[in-house]
Amino acid sequence: MTADADLATALDALDRATDTASLVIAAQTVVQLHNPKAAPSLIKTLGYNNPAVAAVATKGLISLGNNIVPQLLESLDTNNYGARAWIVKILATLRDPRGLAVLLKAIHVDIAPSVRRSATRGLAELDLKNTEQNDDLAQCFAGLLHAGHDDEWVVRYAAAYGLEQRLPDPSLTPQQHREGLMLLQGLASAQESVTVVRMRASQALDRLSSA
Amino acid sequence: MKPLSEEQIIQNLSQKEDTSAQYYAAWWLGKMRSRHPQAIPLLLSTITALNDQPVDPDRRGVALNAIRALGHLNKPEAKQTLIDLLNSKDYNIREEAARSLGLMKQRDAVEPICALLSSGLEGAGHQPEGSPLLQEPCEALLKALGDIGLNEPHVMQSISPFVDHSRPLVRAAACRALLQLTKDNRWGHELITLLKHPEALVRRGALLDLGATGWLDAVQEIQSAAIESSLKLVALRGLAESSQSTDVLTVMDTLL
Repeated sequence: MTADADLATALDALDRATDTASLVIAAQTVVQLHNPKAAPSLIKTLGYNNPAVAAVATKGLISLGNNIVPQLLESLDTNNYGARAWIVKILATLRDPRGLAVLLKAIHVDIAPSVRRSATRGLAELDLKNTEQNDDLAQCFAGLLHAGHDDEWVVRYAAAYGLEQRLPDPSLTPQQHREGLMLLQGLASAQESVTVVRMRASQALDRLSSA
Repeated sequence: MKPLSEEQIIQNLSQKEDTSAQYYAAWWLGKMRSRHPQAIPLLLSTITALNDQPVDPDRRGVALNAIRALGHLNKPEAKQTLIDLLNSKDYNIREEAARSLGLMKQRDAVEPICALLSSGLEGAGHQPEGSPLLQEPCEALLKALGDIGLNEPHVMQSISPFVDHSRPLVRAAACRALLQLTKDNRWGHELITLLKHPEALVRRGALLDLGATGWLDAVQEIQSAAIESSLKLVALRGLAESSQSTDVLTVMDTLL
């Protein structure tokens, strides 16, 4: 059988699966074929409100790499909230600068702390080296500063992690650098109520000063 | 919607007509670790509704939130009330009181908690016919003993039988307490076995129990467990804070 025929069989099985166990197996079969043409079907399963299936599809989509980013971004218009959360996680992992706007929006408006956390990690790791727009780094950095004031400790933790990644970037303006350092110092101080956030921010400051 | 000010929250708790506003206010004071001078007296006053006959279900809900908040606020003025609540006829009230006393590490609660557990698997750990609950809130009682941390032979004796309980989450609570009190790795390995249990609910419980113990040998097992990252991060936060180990932070970074 050709690769496309294998894919057609696997997608058909995924279409017909109804319970979680068979959906997971069908999704795993599709993922193992590692065929970029499977992306639309995998993206569709993210909207099934079934975390076990979505976890398999998420891994599969990540393994398909950055070529699927445009499809992910297009699907955001039609997909439901649950799918959106998974897509934020995929975009954060792929580090593709085209995901920047989605990650920024998630940090500002998403109600789920785990989504804001993933989006923050995404901002920390997005590959902005090859983007032409100087604006991207500024927006990305502003997003990290916003995340550092989030109500949830885990998002502030991710912001401390992110500031450690971004602060050594020589393209930052002195003003941005100063603001980032001040935020980290705040997170490392008694102003921050959660011990582990203080620990992570102090670690970031130590590493930055010894680098 | 504008967030409520602390003054507004205090007013909402002191009025008696709107129980849902009281319910939220009681939760808020605990969550925000309020230091308002009226917080403790007002929270304690909501608990008197438990003496009414019959108990109003909405006021009982407010009281449950107040008990939780008192645990977070950790003030000595609340100690005796919470200890008295361990003898409530209401299972959930006993359960929340035990949790709060554990959070407060109240040594004076150790004897009454041991007394509730003293009937062992046949008594406290028995599930009466037709009820989903055990006779006593064993998980909360065991965890409280571990959190309070009084390592004495009679406390161990109260906990030990429950490592053989038929419910995996009760076993996990007993192992957690024994690991906290004895630092004996054996109990940590029992928890790691439960971390691989087929039921997700048990895996999550064992994960949070490991997080509470500060037992660093668990870090790798937690990282690879079949549980969502959000919960692993909560457990690792517990390990990091109790051990002050920066190695835990490195693992947490990989789970963001």
